Amino acid sequence: MNDTTNVGTVDGDRIIDTQAAESIGGDLAAALAVAEPQPVYAGITSCPMLALPGDMFVVGAAHSVDALTRNHNVRGSGALGNTGGAERPLIPLDIDRPEHTKYRKLLDPIFAAKVIAPLEQDVRELADDLIDTFIDRGQADIYDEFCAILPSTIFLRLMGIPIGDLEYFLQFKNDLLRDFPGETLTNREARMKAAGARCYRYFNQVLDDREARGAPGDDLLGRFLTAEVEGHRLTRENILDICYLLMIAGLDTVAASLSCIISWLARNPRERQRIVANPEMWPDAIEELMRWETPVPSGTRTPTVDMQIGEQTVPAGTHVAVLWASANLDPEKFKDPLTVDLTRRPNPHYSFAAGFHRCLGSHLARMELRSALDQFHRRIPDYRIPDGVELKYEALPVRLARPLPLTWNS
Amino acid sequence: MKLELDTEACMGHGRCYGLAPGLFDADDEGHAVLLRPEVPSDLARAARDAQESCPEQAIALHE
Repeated sequence: MNDTTNVGTVDGDRIIDTQAAESIGGDLAAALAVAEPQPVYAGITSCPMLALPGDMFVVGAAHSVDALTRNHNVRGSGALGNTGGAERPLIPLDIDRPEHTKYRKLLDPIFAAKVIAPLEQDVRELADDLIDTFIDRGQADIYDEFCAILPSTIFLRLMGIPIGDLEYFLQFKNDLLRDFPGETLTNREARMKAAGARCYRYFNQVLDDREARGAPGDDLLGRFLTAEVEGHRLTRENILDICYLLMIAGLDTVAASLSCIISWLARNPRERQRIVANPEMWPDAIEELMRWETPVPSGTRTPTVDMQIGEQTVPAGTHVAVLWASANLDPEKFKDPLTVDLTRRPNPHYSFAAGFHRCLGSHLARMELRSALDQFHRRIPDYRIPDGVELKYEALPVRLARPLPLTWNS
Repeated sequence: MKLELDTEACMGHGRCYGLAPGLFDADDEGHAVLLRPEVPSDLARAARDAQESCPEQAIALHE
């Protein structure tokens, strides 16, 4: 319990937290699309499980999230269908054990911290190049000119895709992942399916070219063309399903995280000055701001057997929304969870999910965040949000601040 | 002070070898490897940070 939490009320056999239920019953996305959505998320941590009308289950309490994510009889997002307009389950996001384990054995070494570490200099140089394009102007939309471009460029380099195709990929990512206000559900689905079809076409073409040349390449695509899982080469469909996942995960989440962190530092100049004066604070500060902002706020887990959570039984096959953003504010897990402490240790946050679907790219994300943020603040230590501007946030499926107009003395 | 690692529970978050590189390392898949089960006194704080920061609670620390 904490001081922002309303006491849950018992309604029949369902426990409903008043504040959270009102938020969900009202316009939840709007309540969360603000600079400080934490009180709303924190309100959900007080119940082991929230049952909402329409057989919708939500968990935000850390121990409930742990129970779900650590249980072997629980499926990941694939139980809901294929993510993001895909024709088949994405690998590894939408698949579960035992298949999932085979693919993680292939992919985990590619994204291991030690393998990622040597890329740091590349990220710093790229950050510098981007900063060069706007620093003398004394103002920029940091989302479009920095946050969005940096991780996408690194991703294309890793994959071995020409950088000239960056705009194409950025467009494609927006078509796949964004919600456009006022768009009908049918149109939204059609837009995502069309973007998905473009993704398959694009990668099919690249893979055809490489096979025709007989040169797989020494980048990620090349590795997938030659990799084996349990003695078998990956099929073309396997490779496409991995590429699609990497696209969705790689192009958007670090951009969103950068925008969340920079906008927080813009709103909290004293804390920013502390880090600028003590750059060795970055690793802990990034973990804390990832906890606080939780750029990927939720996931879905589906038990394959009846499962007890708190007082309730979740029937097999029920989809449960897991709010990482709430678990990150649970006072049973974090001391003073509603205080941002940039030196916080320990910090066992849920921002890269938990359990066997732990974010595959977490080590790449951390390295990019650390290098890009450090480099940015070495070059532009003192900045502010222009007078009269109120930052715009999106809440779901990914939290981000866009546009992110900042100004500084050039 | 003694550390214990549950390798089945480890999911490769890498918090332990980030916070306590003198006590933990990573294998090729990025999963934790326990280097020194007996914690020297100067690494006691690092051991606690690593244990308490593991999102999977895969590390036990016996005082």
